[in-house]
Amino acid sequence: MFGLPWHILLPTLLGSLLAGALSSALGVFVIRMKLTSLGFAMSHAAFAGAALGILLGVADPIWMALVLALLAAAILGPLADASRMSVDTILAVVFPVTMALGLVFLNLAPSSGIGNGALSLLWGSLLGITMPHVLVLAAVAGVFVAVLLVFWKPFFALLLDRKLALASGLPVDGPFYALLFLVALVVATSLRVTGGLLIYSLMILPASAALQWVYDIKKALLLAPTFGIAASLGGAVLSLMVDLPMGAAITIVAAGIFLLSVVASPKRRRARAGAHPV
Amino acid sequence: MDDCVVSLRRVSASYEGERHAALHDVSLEVRAGEQVGVVGPNGAGKTTLLEVVSGLLPFVLGAVEVHGQPVSRRSHRLRARIGYVPQDAMFPSDTPFLVSDVVLAARFGLSSRLRWPTAGDRSAARSALVAIGISDLGGRPVGRLSGGQQRKVLLARALAQHASLLLLDEPTANLDPESKIEVAELVQAVRRDLGATALVVTHEDGALLRMADRVVRIVAGRLVADEALVGMS
Repeated sequence: MFGLPWHILLPTLLGSLLAGALSSALGVFVIRMKLTSLGFAMSHAAFAGAALGILLGVADPIWMALVLALLAAAILGPLADASRMSVDTILAVVFPVTMALGLVFLNLAPSSGIGNGALSLLWGSLLGITMPHVLVLAAVAGVFVAVLLVFWKPFFALLLDRKLALASGLPVDGPFYALLFLVALVVATSLRVTGGLLIYSLMILPASAALQWVYDIKKALLLAPTFGIAASLGGAVLSLMVDLPMGAAITIVAAGIFLLSVVASPKRRRARAGAHPV
Repeated sequence: MDDCVVSLRRVSASYEGERHAALHDVSLEVRAGEQVGVVGPNGAGKTTLLEVVSGLLPFVLGAVEVHGQPVSRRSHRLRARIGYVPQDAMFPSDTPFLVSDVVLAARFGLSSRLRWPTAGDRSAARSALVAIGISDLGGRPVGRLSGGQQRKVLLARALAQHASLLLLDEPTANLDPESKIEVAELVQAVRRDLGATALVVTHEDGALLRMADRVVRIVAGRLVADEALVGMS
């Protein structure tokens, strides 16, 4: 299919499917808990980590991406939570610094290191996804689902309102930090699929699209991964068909789904009609 | 005092990063079953008082106890029995939650956080909606309700929690006159059903204040008056 052997195509499609489902499900949490800036900063920390991995000659730079993304979660979470500094300020500092570090690391890397590996970290790559990457993504998906099922009540209450969750006797700090670490895990392990520059689109666009359609958070948590899978698989196919960078192709498809959702959103139709939707 | 539900002794409190204390040296006791109105101008410290009692505000000097137990941000079990209606808990129109889920979530602190909601939880949430008179709104998105309906949802949460203490922060603010009376009467009904004690912040001379057993006045973070209103209601 597409002139590629199955041993290359299969990991690409499976990796896209898992990254799309995971990122977009997590995106619902990120949007509802107003963590978009933090997640954005973490995705660029992951990119800087992967670039450092290339500079250091690490066999798979994704592991360095994971280290830096987790480090960013450990630092940025308490920083933002303490509210001494606005999240926008944190982002304004962290985003250019991590991007600059990533580009410096890539620039310092020996010329042999700057090939497909480095470019795939920027743009995503069909050939960059292997079965070991798919297994890592599957393991992260397992962790995500397990954490969600075990701590469903605090997460559900946090999705509604952090203050109300705390006021009704639920701990909020633990689930909040667990979520940040999950974002770091997903961002770092999905880096191969979309690349560091566009990975965040797969987290935000399908989740935002899902929230255009439904008023029930449980349905949003099912619809978002559906859109995420459609965007990532659609992007992979588009990338194969017209030879586009995979991250860009996925983002274009995800943006299309989002725009369609905004235009066709039953919420907007009902708001215009002044009726209360059920 | 044995029947003391809320006890504050020489409490001062401030918000993080602010030099000036929002509450200064406040002492207050609320007995079981009492409804205490808290009045004062904007920014006087009324909301801070409720946040201190519920343990939501971490920067507190002095002693705060509810049901004889010290209160802190980690008092999760204690808070699970406190029905808190915050002043700013209006749900935006795009909030992706159904009313029934908003009420159900109020019960999540009552049992192990690892346990999924039980049939008992769902039944308690349904009963609360019926008691408040909004059972027909259970399947509606909470953000699409009017201000008065949203206040009723928050009261239904307190009822579903089987709260022994109600902390209500201006529950009738920004409502039309009819809704004000309706919500004030519901507060009384909820308090009666639960046999609960209540601290009700209001800066209006309305029905809620007339229903109080006592009124305390806070000005610039200090408790300046504590008056019984026996016979007014």
